[in-house]
Amino acid sequence: MRRIHQAAAACFMAFSAYIMWESLGLEYYTELGPGSGFFPFWLGAALGALALAWLVQASRLAGRPAEEAFLPARQGIVRILSLIAAVLISAGVMNTLGFQVTMFVFLVFTLMVLGKQPIWLTAVIALVGSVGVFHLFAGYLDVQLPASSLALLASLGL
Amino acid sequence: METVQNLLMGFGVALLPENLLLAVIGSILGTMIGVLPGLGPAAGTAMLIPLTFHLGPTGAIIMLTALFYGTQYGGTITSVLLNVPGEAASAITCLDGYAMARQGRGGAALSVAAVGSFVGGIVATMALVVAAGPLTAVALQFGPVEFFSLILLGISLLMGLAGTSMIKALMMGIFGLLLAMVGIDPIRGQPRFTFGLTELLDGISFVPIIMGLFGMGEILANAEKPFSEIVLAKMSSLVPSRQEIRDSVAPILRGSLIGTALGLVPGITNSASSFLAYIAERKSSTHPERFGTGMIQGVAGPEAANNAHANGALIPLFTLGIPASPTIAVIMGAFLMHGLVPGPFLFKEHPAVVWGVIASFCVGNVILLILNLPLIGIWIQILKIPYGILSAIILAFMILGAYSVSNSTFDILIMMVFGVLGYLLRKLDFPLAPVVLTLILGPLMERSLRQSLEISQGSFLIFLKSPVAVVFLAAAALVLIMPMFRFFRRGKNVLSGEEPA
Repeated sequence: MRRIHQAAAACFMAFSAYIMWESLGLEYYTELGPGSGFFPFWLGAALGALALAWLVQASRLAGRPAEEAFLPARQGIVRILSLIAAVLISAGVMNTLGFQVTMFVFLVFTLMVLGKQPIWLTAVIALVGSVGVFHLFAGYLDVQLPASSLALLASLGL
Repeated sequence: METVQNLLMGFGVALLPENLLLAVIGSILGTMIGVLPGLGPAAGTAMLIPLTFHLGPTGAIIMLTALFYGTQYGGTITSVLLNVPGEAASAITCLDGYAMARQGRGGAALSVAAVGSFVGGIVATMALVVAAGPLTAVALQFGPVEFFSLILLGISLLMGLAGTSMIKALMMGIFGLLLAMVGIDPIRGQPRFTFGLTELLDGISFVPIIMGLFGMGEILANAEKPFSEIVLAKMSSLVPSRQEIRDSVAPILRGSLIGTALGLVPGITNSASSFLAYIAERKSSTHPERFGTGMIQGVAGPEAANNAHANGALIPLFTLGIPASPTIAVIMGAFLMHGLVPGPFLFKEHPAVVWGVIASFCVGNVILLILNLPLIGIWIQILKIPYGILSAIILAFMILGAYSVSNSTFDILIMMVFGVLGYLLRKLDFPLAPVVLTLILGPLMERSLRQSLEISQGSFLIFLKSPVAVVFLAAAALVLIMPMFRFFRRGKNVLSGEEPA
């Protein structure tokens, strides 16, 4: 875990350096007082100083063999990556496939990754969560969800 | 007299059929969020904000606040029946609540908890009614100098009390402030940290950030291990015995006072209130050794305290414009999204809205008391749904919520990025509450700092010319410096958050 903490502290320091660099490109001070870059510059500096303090502390702490591992077991990693991929892909294709198709596929996939329920139940939940939610939100809650930009799917009301 | 008139006007607004319905919906959704594992009140409230866009500001805030204190009621159900706290504040209820459920007295525990929560909520709301006038009168005297100092004090308290590591809390607070900087600078009109993306010109909406950090992060953390089946304790009669009622009266009153008082202090969580109420009950009991074996006092006091805290924490928001907890910060964000700025001017400029919302707290607590116990069977059925299915449904609703903020899939990506970040930060023991608070308060804080410095033509001495600001700044410095003293007295563990071996 010590290495992980050191690496994370280094990431924060790099982030703070970037913030300070970017802030210098903005107005730091004007005739009327602080400019756009004033506040973020000092926040970046403070973050860098704190990250450095954390790095020093993390480096001083002795390693603990009994500590829980940072990374989960392989199956856990697969589940986590599957969920992340599912959300990212859904965001990527939602405007093309439309909310209903995207959410149907998303729900079927995540229910298969996370749950152990019968297929019919998966299908029912996915259908209600996609087509049902689309019509509920559009019809009653005045929230417009994207329809498919593909002519074929659009003609089917998806 | 004016306060009573205002409150009556507020009841007139809160009891309008539309607002009453929204309070019912908010209460039910809040209880459901409290019952569901893995979806905390902050993420739950943020997720439902887009649904309020088509409502008027009064109705929207009534629904969201009802949802907020509904989560406090819901958290109790899982604590008593599952020995798993739905909310952190209900954790202490597990000790005696679950013990009671195992003895077949779970129904009585839930009834007393509901009554305790109701009394706690009403006491705290009355405190808000009483405090509103004097506090807003003081706050109306504040200029940007005092306001900046007050925000700094609020943030310092939250960071100072957020977790065991002051360094990590400060880092998270600054991270939230930096996130608030993204977009066009409100004073100079210059774009900052937008990476050339037009989607970022208006800044990053706090809704996907909070859903990501709290909701998505929690789901990813839970996905590490296979989900275990839940074992529910059997339900019994909801009617407590006469002795149980007698034993609950004093704890409920004590818990209500403790929760209301601690709710006023930004940074003190409602878990601390319920814990202190539990300690108070143990201390005042003639049989402290029996706590943990199913004492009704161990349920009544903490439950009254956590709901009183939840309602009491709204006092600094309404009177000073300072949110005292992450969920209240989300509610403050909802106010801002609806064009209302919480604080003393709200009472002056929108009295019908603010008194309507305050009156709705009483109405909402009555609704929760009436609805919760008869609906207990439904909550139990929800608890029986496997977590895998619940997680998938929650994820789908988070995608929906993120998209609905500005009808853009970009916000779904933002939510995902912050979900991964929330998961990693959680694993590194970073407290996430300071991010929310500073994210919401960041723009107000920067604006008041820059306005102050413009008044003084760049001189920081302006902060020493106002006695109120000096007191606030000294208190903030004390809160932040105190761990340094402990550091020198007790060693490095205080700052790092590492427990001594």
